[in-house]
Amino acid sequence: MFGYWDALYFLFVFIIGLILAYLLDRWAKRSGMGTRKTGPGAKIFISGEDPDRVIPGFEHLEGHYTGRNVMWGLTYALKRFFTVLRADHTGLLTDYASYLVIVTAFVMGVLLIWG
Amino acid sequence: MMALPYLMIIPLFGAFSMPMVSLAGRKAREAWAVLISGATLAVGSWVFYRVYEKGTVLYTLGAKSPLGQANFPIRIVWEVDLFGALMVLMVAFVSFMAVLYSLGYMRHDTGLDKYYTLILILELGMLGIAITGDLFNFYVFLEIMSIASYALVAFRNDTQEGIEAGIKYMLVGSMASSLILLGIALLYGQYGTLTMGYLALKLSQNATVVGKVALALLTSGLLFKSGASPVHMWLADAHPAAPSSISAMLSGLVIKIGGIYALARIAFSVYGISISVKTVGWLIILFACITLIVGNAMAVIQTDMKRLLAYSSVGQIGYILLGIGIGLAAYGSRTGEIALAGAIYHTFNHALMKGLLFLIAGAVIHQLGTRDLNDLSGLAKTMPKTTFAFLIGAAAIVGMPPLNGFASKWLIYESSALFNPVLGAIAIIGTAFCTAAYVRVLYTFFGRPSEKVMEAKDPEKSMLWPMVILTIAIIVMGLFPWGISDKVMIPAARALENQLAYVATLMGGG
Repeated sequence: MFGYWDALYFLFVFIIGLILAYLLDRWAKRSGMGTRKTGPGAKIFISGEDPDRVIPGFEHLEGHYTGRNVMWGLTYALKRFFTVLRADHTGLLTDYASYLVIVTAFVMGVLLIWG
Repeated sequence: MMALPYLMIIPLFGAFSMPMVSLAGRKAREAWAVLISGATLAVGSWVFYRVYEKGTVLYTLGAKSPLGQANFPIRIVWEVDLFGALMVLMVAFVSFMAVLYSLGYMRHDTGLDKYYTLILILELGMLGIAITGDLFNFYVFLEIMSIASYALVAFRNDTQEGIEAGIKYMLVGSMASSLILLGIALLYGQYGTLTMGYLALKLSQNATVVGKVALALLTSGLLFKSGASPVHMWLADAHPAAPSSISAMLSGLVIKIGGIYALARIAFSVYGISISVKTVGWLIILFACITLIVGNAMAVIQTDMKRLLAYSSVGQIGYILLGIGIGLAAYGSRTGEIALAGAIYHTFNHALMKGLLFLIAGAVIHQLGTRDLNDLSGLAKTMPKTTFAFLIGAAAIVGMPPLNGFASKWLIYESSALFNPVLGAIAIIGTAFCTAAYVRVLYTFFGRPSEKVMEAKDPEKSMLWPMVILTIAIIVMGLFPWGISDKVMIPAARALENQLAYVATLMGGG
């Protein structure tokens, strides 16, 4: 119980992880290559935007790369959850104060009943 | 113990002499700030060593004994157990790093005499909270710390963001402080004492409804100060708006000392078993679960680097609260002890990690003038040292072995899974969000260099060194996790749990 931990084990796990990543990379390259060894078909797509692609009308953004879509899958899958969270963070001082009052009332209620 | 007062005297003297020293020029001011915070770190280290070696220290202000003519304590006391001493060390160390970093980071700002005065007052307030054994004295230090924080958040008063965040923080922070003061007043009215140890004795003899109302007021006020959800929203405004050296202190120290430490001290040392520890424990666990999910999830969708770090702080506070909650709910069991040790360990680790990450954010802002993640692609190419430090900080905060964050999180996961598997699962979900948030930043930093980042370079030495020291501390602490846990964190958790020893030290039997 309560954690036996040795840095060496994690070094092994890390090395195994690196080997797996390398194998995965090779596999992806082979799968994506098709019949040619160069060109867009050889690119591995993991996530995010394609930095080489220039969208017509957005040429002014050339040379500007971002990582903003890296967690696209997660944020899209939990869109509703994030929308609720975002809507709740209004930035209004009155909301901050209201939450403080609500929390105080809740804590007091719980402690008076079960404390 | 004669060294303890110097923990107050040095920063207080340094802060109030700062305007005069500033008359001698910029170099004198900077040297003075470094000297004072360095000396405070030396005294803090000594206090920690002394408490670690010889046990809890009691210091009475103005007399030899806290007891007056009567047989109960009437004087203000400072009582430092291992938990308090660890907090002293943490505050003194990270504050020293922040002051060192400020030398380069704040070079282009004006009003630096006020800045260094406030930073030393902030440190003083935090140290006072960590050592005091008197409730009203605690409130005074809490206000010293809070007021210095409000002013420092709004320090850059040429930006609308700083002023808005400062005003919001001040107004709603004052409300929370008022709740805490009301709680203290109720306790004084009911029991006629403000000395924490003696109050613990009185509460164990006669726990009244007033005592419970006071605990509710103190708990909600301190949950606010620690940035627990849903009263965390001020934090996401205040921490990014402050200068980065101050953000590092706010996120790394202020929410821990002014919130977590105080909450744990009051729950364990003052109330302890005189109330239903299960109820209070589960109450804290409930807030912890909300906090670690909301904080980490909100970090995923931020585009502002400092805001992301601020929400991440909220998430990490969730883990610490979870450890404290389980420590209370499973009071007296091995699981509870380990959870509490994990919480204390994570408090210390998070101070280092978040201190480092905010200093890095400051270095990036210093170079590029932006904290929008969408503008920072490929930073690894032009700021390699900074990016490496960020990689270490991010990996540690996610809980990757072999870094320090892993050990503390592991203790919290393991104890929460043993206590209630659902809590373990919630903690892991929180970490999944946390990982997603930091992977996004790392992907950006290691991505294809954007034209905008091409002119950036690693910061100057005075900014780089604190980052290097914190990175080394994170790596080194990660190499000896169980040694630190067994020798420092578990004894600190035991000291916190042992209410009887806390009271006995005060009454002369310790």
